[in-house]
Amino acid sequence: MGIISRALRNLSRRKVRALLVIVALSISLSIMVSIPAGLMANQESTSAMANNLGNTITQTSQSINETLSQIDVSMSSNFAGFGFSQAATPTPNTSGRNGGSTSDVTGPQNFGGFGGAGGGQFGGASGTASPMNQSLYSDIADISGVAAVEEILTASQGSSNQTTTFMGRTFTTLITDYTIQGIPLISELVDGYTVLPTNITAGRNLQAGESGGVLLSQNNSKFFDVGVGDEVKIVNETFTVVGIYSPSSTENIQSLYMNLSDAQRITNNTGYITSLKVFTTSSELVDTVASSISSLHSELTVTTQQDRLNQLQQQQSLYEEALASAQSSLAATEATAIQEIIVVVAATSLIVLFVMLYTVRERTKEIGTLKAIGFSNKVVMGQFLIEGLLLSTIAGVVGIAIAAFAAPTLSSLLLPTVGTQMGFVNVGNATSSTVTLSTTLMLEAMGVAVLLGVVGTLYPAWRAAKIRPAEAMKYE
Amino acid sequence: MSKPVLQIENLNKTYMLGKRLVNALTNLNLTVNKGEFIAIMGPSGSGKTTLLNVIGCIDKPTEGTVTIDDVNVTKTPENKLYKVRRDKMGFIFQSFNLLPYLNARENVELPMEGKIKSREERKKRASELLNLVGLSGRENHRPQRLSQGEQQRVAIARALANDPAIILADEPTGNLDTKNKQEIIKLLANLNLNQGTTIIMVTHDTNAALHTERMLLLKDGKIVKEKEGLHLAKKNSKCPHCGAPIKITDDNCQACKKPLFQTDELFAS
Ligand SMILES: Nc1ncnc2c1ncn2[C@@H]1O[C@H](COP(=O)(O)OP(=O)(O)OP(=O)(O)O)[C@@H](O)[C@H]1O
Ligand SMILES: [Mg+2]
Repeated sequence: MGIISRALRNLSRRKVRALLVIVALSISLSIMVSIPAGLMANQESTSAMANNLGNTITQTSQSINETLSQIDVSMSSNFAGFGFSQAATPTPNTSGRNGGSTSDVTGPQNFGGFGGAGGGQFGGASGTASPMNQSLYSDIADISGVAAVEEILTASQGSSNQTTTFMGRTFTTLITDYTIQGIPLISELVDGYTVLPTNITAGRNLQAGESGGVLLSQNNSKFFDVGVGDEVKIVNETFTVVGIYSPSSTENIQSLYMNLSDAQRITNNTGYITSLKVFTTSSELVDTVASSISSLHSELTVTTQQDRLNQLQQQQSLYEEALASAQSSLAATEATAIQEIIVVVAATSLIVLFVMLYTVRERTKEIGTLKAIGFSNKVVMGQFLIEGLLLSTIAGVVGIAIAAFAAPTLSSLLLPTVGTQMGFVNVGNATSSTVTLSTTLMLEAMGVAVLLGVVGTLYPAWRAAKIRPAEAMKYE
Repeated sequence: MSKPVLQIENLNKTYMLGKRLVNALTNLNLTVNKGEFIAIMGPSGSGKTTLLNVIGCIDKPTEGTVTIDDVNVTKTPENKLYKVRRDKMGFIFQSFNLLPYLNARENVELPMEGKIKSREERKKRASELLNLVGLSGRENHRPQRLSQGEQQRVAIARALANDPAIILADEPTGNLDTKNKQEIIKLLANLNLNQGTTIIMVTHDTNAALHTERMLLLKDGKIVKEKEGLHLAKKNSKCPHCGAPIKITDDNCQACKKPLFQTDELFAS
């Protein structure tokens, strides 16, 4: 008859009490386990979110830097006789529409339908922004401070109508199937400036002097159902897919790239372009060059990147705000978690404390007897410590078993959710990450359970050891 | 031949009851020889339990010395006293004080736990002791399934567990009916006769006291009277009245016909 079997018998002697204590302890333990599990999941998703935002912020900064020395030039919309309505753009900030790197500020390429109303050479299903006679603008390259001029033809091809509801308003947009970007494939531009997408996921990029090749976006590749090396019919000519790129945040996901001359030919726009991108020798010269262009060609809309810079910076601060808010929300979650854990730990040790105190009190006479027949204080103390320990260990096992099933529910009940939508920026959602219990966490919880058992029992056991047998004998 | 197993000298025990001092024991002297069977009697509050507790080392005297088997236990440090209690003392209580969640054998094994390493040996000894107190076959019964008399037998077996120098019994028959009372007293008397166990028993029951060999009357914490019990006569096999030889089974003296187990007006005063 050892000390442990005596402890077990004592527990089973008061089955209901033991059961209640085990239930209470195991619930608080499962809470104790679920909170850090949920917190870990929150931390994971927040750091993923922070990563994404960090990348976006870096990309945005890059494009801010890159575009600082650039000037976009296109035909004034009222000159061409028709206008674009920015209001028709459903989500100005979502990826793919937040500003094409080269030519979109005054010539949104998505609106093939509007382009269709333009001059004869832009007729049919195809649509582009306002046309510019290429030969009229060769003098821009001679302006001092101009390093290079990129002549661009953008032509969207599309057919279906789509209605979008945004902020309570309904918009009908003609959905573009794809947008042709004609870029002069000359080595001065291709090798010296970022005129083509950079993130090639398959095949290769377009090369200087190349004709008959096309670089597709991933969307294009899906739309045409073709891969690298395949032939694809664009408008009415067959091209070879040289590569596929993944659009950056500043590139239109529907843009396909080809040589300018190819684009002009197939869209029946030989000699015409839709915009110019002027690279200045330094960013300080941007304003001077821009006004020179304006005075030479008053019919043109000249946009320096200042506007875009503002837009990008706005976007940047939105991202940063989202990141900060996610981080502070995580910090708040951590604070809540710590508070809850403290409460649970306190409650758990108090439960053990009061139950064991009651047990000691109830067994005063037994303790007196044991001492009178020769039990040392140490053994008496050990007896109660083991009882408390057994209780908390059993509760620990039960609690972890509960937590293994209920951790996601419990943690979502107990912890505020990190993340969700911030402005237009979807920064992800913490609840989407799974709350799982690691073996380490379970072992730690077991350790905590045992520790709380000891802590809660220490005082009652000490009280038991202090009981004077002669006094205890009088106790009924 | 018989040497003292217990010597009490100048024992004082005072309690603080609020602001009042209560003298539970006053200048008490007592020597108990090995193999004696002693009854302590006296009115309620006279200090019987206090004396027994001090002898049993579960209470500390305010003053004086208690020597057990030549060891001055009043000088033994508190954290070593459990050994004296375990090895030298066997306590028997009025309300048996068995652990309800242990069976008879396990209850008897309890005091051996710190002393006898082998579990088998403990079991064996506990069974032998239960057999000695007439409870063979009841080893696996828990207290609630035993009669009161049987429970006190288990307690006696437990008190004998470590072969103690002194058995201390505080009103061991106090909770028992007449029949069980007699049986328990007989059991103790036989243990004393046959095994030579030293027994100090507090009792209110004159009949029970008569079965001892020495009766002490306590009053206000002092031993005020001492008298021989009939047990001594039995031991000596002589009638206490006429000195004629008697048998242990005799109720009256064969020679003078006087009753052997009733002493008139004992402690009458
Ligand atoms: N813990 C205590 N505190 C104060 N006084 C006490 C304490 N224990 C005993 N006393 C007092 O000491 C005296 C002796 O008590 P004790 O219990 O020894 O008497 P007793 O002879 O055993 O009486 P009873 O026959 O009723 O059991 C009594 O006056 C009692 O009130
Ligand atoms: Mg008493």
